[in-house]
Amino acid sequence: MKLKQLLKIVLINIYHNKMRTFLTTLGVIVGTATIFLVVAIGQGGEAQVNEQYSRLNVGTIMVMPAQRGRVLDPLTKEDAELFQASQNIKMAFPILNGSGSMKYSNYSSNGTYYGILPAYLEANNLTINQGRFLDDTDESKRERVAVIGAGLAELLTDGNPTEILDKTLDLNRRKFVVVGILNRMGDSGSPQGFDDTAFIPYSAAERYLLGTRANPTINAIAAGVDTVQAAIQDITTILNGNHLRGGSEQFRILDAGSRLVAAQETARTMSLLLLSVAVVVLIVSGIGIMNVMFVTVKERTKEIGTLKAIGAKKREILGQFLIEAVVISLVGGILGVIIGVCMVPLLTYFEILAIPSLSGVLIGLFFSVTTGLFFGFYPAWQAADLNPIDALRYE
Amino acid sequence: MDNNLRCIIDAKNIVKIYETGYEELKVLDDINIKVMENDLTAILGPSGSGKSTLMNVLGCLDLPTSGQYFLDGVDVLKAKEDQLAEIRNKKIGFVFQKFNLLPRLSALQNVMLPLLYRGIDEAEAREIAKEKLNLLGLGDRLTHRPNELSGGQQQRVSIARAIVGNPPLLLADEPTGNLDSKSSMDAIEIFKELNKEGNTIIIITHDTEVAEQMKKVVFIRDGQFFENN
Ligand SMILES: Nc1ncnc2c1ncn2[C@@H]1O[C@H](COP(=O)(O)OP(=O)(O)O)[C@@H](O)[C@H]1O
Ligand SMILES: [Mg+2]
Repeated sequence: MKLKQLLKIVLINIYHNKMRTFLTTLGVIVGTATIFLVVAIGQGGEAQVNEQYSRLNVGTIMVMPAQRGRVLDPLTKEDAELFQASQNIKMAFPILNGSGSMKYSNYSSNGTYYGILPAYLEANNLTINQGRFLDDTDESKRERVAVIGAGLAELLTDGNPTEILDKTLDLNRRKFVVVGILNRMGDSGSPQGFDDTAFIPYSAAERYLLGTRANPTINAIAAGVDTVQAAIQDITTILNGNHLRGGSEQFRILDAGSRLVAAQETARTMSLLLLSVAVVVLIVSGIGIMNVMFVTVKERTKEIGTLKAIGAKKREILGQFLIEAVVISLVGGILGVIIGVCMVPLLTYFEILAIPSLSGVLIGLFFSVTTGLFFGFYPAWQAADLNPIDALRYE
Repeated sequence: MDNNLRCIIDAKNIVKIYETGYEELKVLDDINIKVMENDLTAILGPSGSGKSTLMNVLGCLDLPTSGQYFLDGVDVLKAKEDQLAEIRNKKIGFVFQKFNLLPRLSALQNVMLPLLYRGIDEAEAREIAKEKLNLLGLGDRLTHRPNELSGGQQQRVSIARAIVGNPPLLLADEPTGNLDSKSSMDAIEIFKELNKEGNTIIIITHDTEVAEQMKKVVFIRDGQFFENN
């Protein structure tokens, strides 16, 4: 029999059993939708991680206190200078980090500010949109000036960012003049979002805002990607020599490369976990299909006998029931993908980045069809293998 | 008898033994039967005498325990599974007591099936099937499903399905067993008519009245043929 005819008969049979078919496909629908979403979330997660770290040079090494809060023997600007003297390190600069109220005209907000050396901006690929960067004079003269992120400028001016330029920003009740606004980085809302931050000279932050509470971190940039390990070694040695009370133990040294790898790994583990859930759902739904196919074969035993009597070959019976299982699972797969696509906006609403993709659709359909084929095979084989006379006699 | 006629069935020493757990049941005991082209034969016997078993063997639905069987020149006992399917498709038309129509297919689709299994394409199969259904007076019932037809009509659909591929042999197992007397008479008339047109037909029955209308009657009891002239 031609495939087209076989398919037609299968569709007639399936149509006749709409309700049962639908119930059978429920598991496949859930499984396929899950797989589709797993792929979408996985791609979203990876994109997010890559985006977050795209500004970080893989040669970046962060040195920070091992514990939050007060440190017995904090890092200093001098540590950074010593680091920079190492031949494995291209650049090192201290960063002060604080948070507090920010006020401009009628608007106020709570936010973070960084006390930085001018090199910081360049090292993080930040670019200026209006005004100017902080410079060495600002640093040496402890000028009370600030460069602010695009998001913060927008927030404080209610959507008219340029007006804040050359005006006074009130940072923890200290007045700073805004001399520059950065280009948008698109990281608004993320923990270290540059868009929502104000940058002021390191010296000014130390003097006017933090005083003895200053507890800087140091960003070092290795001379090359392959000197990262050597640079970390040098940093450890310097810290041991320079911080006799506690040594390098009290600091954490992280390099961006391994952090990126770790973050990607986390995203991947997450995807894998969701994927295995989806696979379990599909296996369970596959067993459901198998069960229904067994019942179907049993119910139609006499018909199978009739088909054999009028000339159906083994492979034609096998084909008919396999096609039936595959069509059922494919219907489930297509419904699952549709539901998956509809769920994407919902995920976005809950701030889970999901990127739907053709590969997600194909992987979902592939798994659903494979489920049907795999779990449909045994019942179909049982039907095909029936002895014509036993099948005909079956009541 | 015309000596130029083909021998359709030539079965010798057919034995069928069922093994039911602890005992052996010899259902066919050394059956010899020869059927020539255009024969109209009744195999008559009481219930349990082995008629259906014989028809299943002759119809290549079941294999005998021992014996020899040539169907239209083909050595059936040497055929493989797929070849048997092909023999059933091309050489035999079955008419069952309970019609055995596929419940979800229309009358027309039911009749088309043997041709589709033969690989004939749909349009052609449809034309041939329509023609046969018209012949049997069901031209206005093409799209009806079996449960929308009377018993007599269902049996006519199943006869149309049996003859649609012009097989050299028609096998009918108690074709009137599920019909009222009027429909039974109609069905017998149809078989007689088909025989006039050249079809070779074996009808299995326990009903003497049915058997009497055939050209030839073979009696079977306890798995053995015996003459009763
Ligand atoms: N598959 C089987 N296993 C065991 N015994 C069988 C089987 N099929 C038929 N029989 C037995 O063979 C005998 C003949 O059956 P059957 O050919 O159906 O008789 P008839 O059609 O003449 O009524 C019966 O006694 C029946 O019980
Ligand atoms: Mg019988």
